[in-house]
Amino acid sequence: MLKRIYIDNFRCLVNFDLSVDAINLFLGPNGAGKSTVFDVLRKIQAFVSGDSKADVIFKSVDCTRWQTSPIQTFELEIEGNGGKYKYELAIDNYKDKERISARVEYERLWFDNQPLIKFESGEVQLYRDNYSEGQNYSFAWSQSILPTIMPRSDNTKLTWFKQRMERFIIVQIIPTMMDDDSNREQMRLSARMENFVSWYRYLSQDQGKIFELTNALREILDGFAYFKFVEAGQQNRILKLYFSGESDKSNTLEYRFGELSEGQRMLIALYTLIYCTQSEDYTLCIDEPENFLALAEIQPWLIKLYDLCSEKKTQALLISHHPELINYLLASPVGYWFDRQSNTPVRVKRIGSDNDTGLPISELIARGWLRDSA
Amino acid sequence: MTQRKVRVTVLCEDRQQEVFARYFLEKRGFHPRKIRYLLLPKGTQSGEQYVRECYRTEVKAYRSNKNHLSIALIVLIDADNKSVAERLNQLDSALEDDSQAKRQEHEKIAVFVPKRNIETWIHYLQEETVDEETAYQKLEKEGDCKPGVEKLVNQCDRGLAEDAPPSLHTACSEWQRII
Repeated sequence: MLKRIYIDNFRCLVNFDLSVDAINLFLGPNGAGKSTVFDVLRKIQAFVSGDSKADVIFKSVDCTRWQTSPIQTFELEIEGNGGKYKYELAIDNYKDKERISARVEYERLWFDNQPLIKFESGEVQLYRDNYSEGQNYSFAWSQSILPTIMPRSDNTKLTWFKQRMERFIIVQIIPTMMDDDSNREQMRLSARMENFVSWYRYLSQDQGKIFELTNALREILDGFAYFKFVEAGQQNRILKLYFSGESDKSNTLEYRFGELSEGQRMLIALYTLIYCTQSEDYTLCIDEPENFLALAEIQPWLIKLYDLCSEKKTQALLISHHPELINYLLASPVGYWFDRQSNTPVRVKRIGSDNDTGLPISELIARGWLRDSA
Repeated sequence: MTQRKVRVTVLCEDRQQEVFARYFLEKRGFHPRKIRYLLLPKGTQSGEQYVRECYRTEVKAYRSNKNHLSIALIVLIDADNKSVAERLNQLDSALEDDSQAKRQEHEKIAVFVPKRNIETWIHYLQEETVDEETAYQKLEKEGDCKPGVEKLVNQCDRGLAEDAPPSLHTACSEWQRII
């Protein structure tokens, strides 16, 4: 489980330090930096997974405008594998001839305060599981060292961390952008969930998960019977859903995924997220999960998610402005209020127990009272 | 009640009561998607005050819709240092102050009043010896009450043990009245 995020010199986040729990709700006005936290997590995930080099992922325009330092610093603390990992990354936005480029100032990984990797100024020092010194070599400053390290019997702690970073799902779901076909399985969801069908194709290798999801969706989507991939060319598959009539269960009609309404696609995406990742130590970062949903659909999904988080079967970081989420979740102290004045860094305040107005928190937010008291 | 079809509103004080009610209703066959929970945001006024204030609104809403909808209202409110009867009287008074009639026998409005509070019932269901005066510790995880609550579903139907807290006996009778 992600325990802490530290970000310095990234857009409006300066010396930003946030400890998180199993379920978390980020609240605050537009432009207060909530989604920026997700952007950072997405960049770190892309970086340590080796998707691209530093200068593709990190841009100098993302340095805080009112600061002059070219160094951006990021830290993640993750609990798991019987201890606590700490990942540290500093990116140097240096001037290379006429253009500004990004390189790794340092990248370090610790487990219970013992080193697993130290990568500083182009020199790598690896450590074995017992923290004894392993290989030492020079490496390009332009990328993360993590994706280049192959799993071995003496680096299982490091390998665990790499795999854990893959289990961050960071999305703002936009059903209109979802493709309804897939040319290959994809293990990672894209930022807007455009590749949902390809991700589902990957998940569908585990029939147990799909069985559970299908059963859950039968309760939610009226008449829904099952999913099926239909071949459309050598590699291409189209995801279809089959619905039966109320009176004649044997008479099923098929629809392409893309023919469903935005709300139905959203529901499928949301329930797939929780049913197909539960109990596998995922962190779900979902920006405005209530979008496109009918009002009556929000609380049942949220309750399911809340329960899974309470049972430590998953972790959720949510961003929302919706009263349904706010009022349900803030019956527990899981809220964080993000705020900032123009050209100043974000401040975060845990929403605690100092509200004795008798009004729901959503009403306090709508009136601007929470902002004023922050 | 045809439980799968009835839409239930649960008005309660806090997360622990919500989780307790949810496990009970779902085990009893109520459709999870037809239950709506109204619970007090953390840190606002006292839970029982919140329930009393919302009660009149929810009863009014129930009464104006009960004839054309299959609905029920379930209320959980801790007795704390009052008696169960005193809490019920307070709720009746809240209605009278709002120019509404007291709760009627035939109405699908169930009020459950744990004494001293919901933790008393939870600890009892975890097979501890309890009394209704002690304030028992809250559970670390609200969901840990699940096995006990699911056991209660059967016990409530078959008859509670003699040593069960009197307020739980009253609650089971209340349950039998509305189902």
